[in-house]
Amino acid sequence: MWQATFTKLGQTLLVLLLVSVASFSFLKLAPGDPVTIMLGSDYSKASYDQLTQELGLDQPVIVQYGHWLANFVRGDWGTSYITNQNIFELAVFQALPVTLTLAAFSLLIALVIGIPTGVMAALYRNSWVDVLATTLAIGGNAFPSFYLGIILIWVFGVGLGWFPTLGFVAPWDDFWQGMWHLALPAITLGAWYVGLIARITRSSLLEVMGQPYILAAKARGEPGWRVVWVHGMRNVLMPLITVIGLQLGGMLRGAVMTEVVFSLPGLGMMITSAVLNREYIVIQAGIMLTGVLFVVLNLMVDQTYQFLDPRLRRRK
Amino acid sequence: MNQVSVLAQNIPVESHAEASLLEVRDFSLRRKKATVLDRITLSLSPGETLGLIGESGAGKSTLAMALIGLLRAPEVEIEGSLRFRGTELTALKEADFRRLRGNKIGLIFQDATAALNPCFTVGKQIAEPLRRHLGLSASACRARAVELMQSVGIPEPRLRLDAYPHELSGGMQQRIMIAIALACNPELLLADEPTSALDVTIQAQIMELILDRVRALNSSAIFVLHDLALGAQVCDRIAVMYAGQIVEEGPSERVLNAPLHPYTQGLKSCVVELGMPTLTPIPGQIPPLDAMPNGCRFAPRCPKAQAICGEQRPETQTRDGRQVACWFID
Ligand SMILES: Nc1ncnc2c1ncn2[C@@H]1O[C@H](COP(=O)(O)OP(=O)(O)OP(=O)(O)O)[C@@H](O)[C@H]1O
Ligand SMILES: [Mg+2]
Repeated sequence: MWQATFTKLGQTLLVLLLVSVASFSFLKLAPGDPVTIMLGSDYSKASYDQLTQELGLDQPVIVQYGHWLANFVRGDWGTSYITNQNIFELAVFQALPVTLTLAAFSLLIALVIGIPTGVMAALYRNSWVDVLATTLAIGGNAFPSFYLGIILIWVFGVGLGWFPTLGFVAPWDDFWQGMWHLALPAITLGAWYVGLIARITRSSLLEVMGQPYILAAKARGEPGWRVVWVHGMRNVLMPLITVIGLQLGGMLRGAVMTEVVFSLPGLGMMITSAVLNREYIVIQAGIMLTGVLFVVLNLMVDQTYQFLDPRLRRRK
Repeated sequence: MNQVSVLAQNIPVESHAEASLLEVRDFSLRRKKATVLDRITLSLSPGETLGLIGESGAGKSTLAMALIGLLRAPEVEIEGSLRFRGTELTALKEADFRRLRGNKIGLIFQDATAALNPCFTVGKQIAEPLRRHLGLSASACRARAVELMQSVGIPEPRLRLDAYPHELSGGMQQRIMIAIALACNPELLLADEPTSALDVTIQAQIMELILDRVRALNSSAIFVLHDLALGAQVCDRIAVMYAGQIVEEGPSERVLNAPLHPYTQGLKSCVVELGMPTLTPIPGQIPPLDAMPNGCRFAPRCPKAQAICGEQRPETQTRDGRQVACWFID
């Protein structure tokens, strides 16, 4: 168990290191000389050399990387050329919470819809409920989220006027306003997940319900709903968490798309506008932060899994 | 509701004086037109033990599942009657049947490792029937679970209460299963090959334990077994099943020592000759369910078979204190 944790930690650090090398090289490979960009069109050779030295760009690449990594770890991510904002604050305190809120809310919606759909499909398999659920699941998975987002904006935002079509209100500032603004984006992002969750729930539950311990629970006089929702679903949780974990990358990708469609000031929006403005250090910060986020979430999923499966827990 | 409370409490049996606990009469069970159980007739008195013997596919587990109500109409087609303490089980509403399961009728599975939920502690699983049927509080459940674990020979039950199934050995897991099945002092215990998944060295121990507990609780029990000799040693009576029918049924020592049905004779000879329950001395195998012969189902393999055996089913007759279904009882 300890060894597994250490291996996992080692892997995590390695992944983070690779992400950092990638995002550092990105800055090096990006077209344009950062010194010229910062100095503007009119500069002397002396001021050019001075700034190059100040930025440490005259030093070997490996040393530059070391400095850069140290600064990153310290939270010194530089300042935006355009808004003059501290990039660390922009990314970690402003953009990240938006993305996390959107992702969490979408996941919640997906679970609340996906799990019961999957359970119904399994219990009434091959009936019309199953066919409908499976169709919806595949449909939700195949439908591009940006397209769904635009349709939702068009129908419920513009057409019916029930929901706002853009902007973000933090739910911790004003809960109902926040939910109201998040509804369409979360449905857009969650729809993609619903199908996946429903499908995994269905197939896992079908397998679990064929196990002797389910028959044994019935033989103890347990009522049907408890057999399914307690004895069955408790065992479905593990494969479900695994799949949710495997799809985290897709979730983050989807979040970027959704933020752009709904103009939510999250990480995806931050990176997109940085790309349009060619603000390389913001892009770089975005890549790093997304990488860290992905790795941390994965680690959390892993821990959850260990916690959920008693067979992986303590051994006597 | 009235019927429910009658079942849940220990109200004396409503039928006649010599009253059997269980009366199975002409009970047939069909799965998609295949007759898996064919006119089974059995009775069991309180405190009596019955061994259900037969080779693989004879329908022993199916009968056990039907008795505990986990195989019922409309999932399968059912005919005939199952009376338990005078109550007709086939007509019982599902909610009422549920009050019998794990309460008045207990079931021990063959493979305890597979029959215990890996995600719940054994204490929780023992507590379930206590809570559901006896309505014990959480703390009373724990106390009773410890007692039960003690009664099935689990050392340091208080420590094992919060163990997960995988933390216990196969033998311990089967003891837990036994504790669960006996938690509410059932009047009928069904044990479907309770030791065949275990190490040979502890099979006898576990069998002994079940018998001990059954006697202590004065319960009746049906043991599903492969081995005729073991069955005769353990049970008061033996019912030999072949292809969904009971071919011979009677007191253990008679059935073992002087079998009347050719199939029982075949079973006995392989026990004696090999000292283990292999069925090689009887040539052939049980015919597939969709190709059952019209007459005696054993006829194609029977050394004594004549023309009539293939054409007409032999009626069950009483002979020498037992029930036998054969045209040529010598
Ligand atoms: N779920 C099922 N669906 C269809 N047929 C089944 C099912 N379970 C059992 N059967 C059939 O019912 C017949 C009786 O099976 P059963 O399991 O009761 O036999 P058994 O005597 O318990 O055998 P074993 O000694 O192998 O446990 C067999 O022919 C089997 O193929
Ligand atoms: Mg069986």
